[in-house]
Amino acid sequence: MLQIENLTKIYDDGTQALTDVSFTVEEGEFLVVIGLSGSGKSTLLRCINRLVEPTEGRITWNGRDITAADQSELREIRREIGMIFQHFNLVKRSTVMTNVLSGRLGYTPPAWSLINRFRKEDRVRAMQALERVGIPDKAGNRADELSGGQQQRVGIARALMQEPKMILADEPVASLDPVLAHSILGNLERINQEDNMTVICSLHFLDLVQRYASRVIGLRDGVIVFEGDSQDIRQLSDERFKEIYGEEAERLGG
Amino acid sequence: MDANQEPTVNRRPSLLYGALSLVLPGLGQAIAGQFRRGSGIFLTFIVLAGLSIWTVAQRARFPDLTLSAQIFWIVFLECAALLLFLICIRYLLNRFLIKDVSGQVFTQWGLIIFYAVAIFLIADSLLSNAGTSEELQQVYESTTVFSAAIFAVFWFWQIGDAARIGARQEIPSMGPAIASACLLIFVLGWNITQIDLPKAIEEYRDTQVILRQLIWPWEAAFEFEVVSVEATARVQAPCPEGEIGPPENEPIAGESWIIVTPTCGELSVLSLSGEFTPGTELTITGGNFTPGSEVEIFWKNPIGNPFRPRGVGETIIPIDENGEFVTNLNIPQALIPDTAVGAQIHTVVIREESTVVFTWRLSREMKLALVGMLETIMLGLMATFFGIIFAVPLSFLAARNLMSNIVSTISAITGGLLLAVAGLILAGLITGQISSLLGGLSENPILIALIGLVLVLGLGYLGWRLGSWGLATLGERAPAILSRILTAFLFALIGAAFGYALGLFFSRGIRAIILPDEVAALTEDRYAIFGAGVLGVISFIYAYRINFDGEIRIGMIIYAIVRTIMNIVRAIEPLIWALVGIIWVGPGPFAGTIALTLHTIAALGKLYSESIESIDPGPLEAIQATGGNRLQTIIYAVIPQVLPPFISFTIYRWDINVRLSTVIGLVGGGGIGFILIQWIRQFEYEAAGLAVWLIAITVSVLDYVSSEIRERFV
Repeated sequence: MLQIENLTKIYDDGTQALTDVSFTVEEGEFLVVIGLSGSGKSTLLRCINRLVEPTEGRITWNGRDITAADQSELREIRREIGMIFQHFNLVKRSTVMTNVLSGRLGYTPPAWSLINRFRKEDRVRAMQALERVGIPDKAGNRADELSGGQQQRVGIARALMQEPKMILADEPVASLDPVLAHSILGNLERINQEDNMTVICSLHFLDLVQRYASRVIGLRDGVIVFEGDSQDIRQLSDERFKEIYGEEAERLGG
Repeated sequence: MDANQEPTVNRRPSLLYGALSLVLPGLGQAIAGQFRRGSGIFLTFIVLAGLSIWTVAQRARFPDLTLSAQIFWIVFLECAALLLFLICIRYLLNRFLIKDVSGQVFTQWGLIIFYAVAIFLIADSLLSNAGTSEELQQVYESTTVFSAAIFAVFWFWQIGDAARIGARQEIPSMGPAIASACLLIFVLGWNITQIDLPKAIEEYRDTQVILRQLIWPWEAAFEFEVVSVEATARVQAPCPEGEIGPPENEPIAGESWIIVTPTCGELSVLSLSGEFTPGTELTITGGNFTPGSEVEIFWKNPIGNPFRPRGVGETIIPIDENGEFVTNLNIPQALIPDTAVGAQIHTVVIREESTVVFTWRLSREMKLALVGMLETIMLGLMATFFGIIFAVPLSFLAARNLMSNIVSTISAITGGLLLAVAGLILAGLITGQISSLLGGLSENPILIALIGLVLVLGLGYLGWRLGSWGLATLGERAPAILSRILTAFLFALIGAAFGYALGLFFSRGIRAIILPDEVAALTEDRYAIFGAGVLGVISFIYAYRINFDGEIRIGMIIYAIVRTIMNIVRAIEPLIWALVGIIWVGPGPFAGTIALTLHTIAALGKLYSESIESIDPGPLEAIQATGGNRLQTIIYAVIPQVLPPFISFTIYRWDINVRLSTVIGLVGGGGIGFILIQWIRQFEYEAAGLAVWLIAITVSVLDYVSSEIRERFV
């Protein structure tokens, strides 16, 4: 169970990205965070694994205080939280295999990394992860030779290598076309259901939200303006919708 | 010049502004509201006038600024009067005679050309009749006239400018001002660099010999063998009564031969009074030489040194069509050592220098040049290699994106620094002990240096970790006020040490420039203690009150320090570093390697760190999110991204280093430059040409190769 209490983030330049955000995520939930770009979705996700340091507030996860963890404890927490990025964040010049294996770095002694060494079972696990996302034949290719959809699968495989208990997905399909978007989110949904893994995902498109979310949080200017399950989203009135997306927003999908 | 180009609507104020600028350049503009323009004109005026006067004074044999200034202003007024006269003529012409625009443009250019020609004529006449005073002759250079003439143009332009701004509140073009300023600087530059075109043209021929040798030195690259035919006969001198000397030669079939008769005689004598008594006349007959060629007679004294006999007969003898010759020669004067008593055997040598034969053997110069070239290439390689080793770690410390998020608390830094220093001292002591056990630094320098390095790094790091951890733990366990005071006190210690060093530096480095050394030394303690006190108190207050729990961006501090040091090292030319290297290890390639290495570290460090700063931050974020530590982030997210630019920059730097090492050789850094400068000083231009050619070939080959390799990586 992930508990976020009174989370506030103010960047060095004075931008107030999050204001007093509090919510709880139960294990096995597929939580979708919606909101316009700049509404604080990315900051919220990055505060959970402290890629961005929260200014105020507390984040606890299964009884552990993430906000109070020191560097080594933080690394232990991070390796149990997989993360998927909008721009995939692969090392383009490295092979797919190396990119997937790098998901295992939290479990690898740092000295081994000097000679690029991984455990044998990690290599087996990496192939399994690639099979699970459907691209085992690309293991030897360079990451930048792959298409966008394939690169995001590598990103998912890298997250799976961490054997995470939770996955944070920051706009995982924003750089992909709708068909690929469904395929990537389908992958995430399968992982969510098969492994009972918590997924926290930020999304743009309302129809994707309705299709995949088990619960939804709406952010606007760093404040939670909506909370409900996918049913609630379906019955969302235009007024509520505009409250989340701003006055000029038009409804696009279902 | 263009003051009256167009009739102005509002005359009175415009004339007023013009008059103001006439009195003080730029004043009219400033009062008319164009303050920046006015002050710019004033500054330009001051700088250009100062520069002109200074230049004129410099070129005189007796630099006297007052005299030059007087002369400059006199010539300026003359030029200005001429210019004013021309402007009036133009005004009158335009007003009463020439009404069409193209005619006016024609007159304007005509007058400009007239002005230029007049100035040239004045300069010329001044140069030829510069009065009687020698000083005046020196100062009255054509430069004075030219610069004063251009100055007059500038002066009139700014008067007209002020008038026009005052009249119409419209900003005229700066074109004439910029043009005249550039022209003036050109004239002064011509004078200061002592350009003398007639001399360059007259004395061009002198360079021809050198140029020919430099441009095509390849004949010196190979050995030429002179094939000569020699025949010898022995002659005894002096010839006491009854002796007949060695037996005469016999003609030999198939070989060149000579017969000398008699084989015994007296040497020529040159008495102290200069009286010359010729020696015994010999008849030399020879055969089997090349018909139609010439042979040369040499005389070889008993020690075996050949010389050309002089004043005793012909020494160049033509050979007839049968390959034979006959000639007479008096035995020459030959210096015999005093210890040589009695009869000596001399040798007559007939040499026929027939052909010069080209061989494929490299000449001594070519071999030297090749060895030097190899040395230079290797020097560049080694400097690049060492440069990489040091530049890579430094570049990570000098990359803003990697360092900016490294933060630490005051207590961690304080404890860390103190124990790190303790660790360093301990390491020094242990190294000293080991060194004395191993027989001193001179016995095992490398081993002891290695042990010292490992100990210093290891103990320093351990101390740092232990200290940071210790003080942080103390802060958690002990009463807050206690740990706070302790930390602040320790931090104040560090501040005081820094202040002490700064005080010493101020006293020794800066005050010593003004004061005599002894005086500065007397008070240096006071400055050091003062610095220590001030910085200590400031550090205490800072640590105690302001930023006790807050984070210090220690990463950015390290970043700034490393960047600054690298910038300083890079700013100092490799030539200067070579001088340091030569004093350090003596002239030779090692000194050059040290110089280039130092410069390479700084240069590559900067290039590397800039390529690290431009990487995609996404993968870094991703590796951090998987729980990787800093080292793993660097290995898996940074290095794969920076490898191509690193390789490219390294090869580029190698290319530069080889080029630089030729120059470094000139000051004693070894390699081909070292050989080249020696040949130039010995006037061996052909050999120098070889070296220059080799450098040119190597550099262009390297340039091509390096660009080919780099293309593949970028």
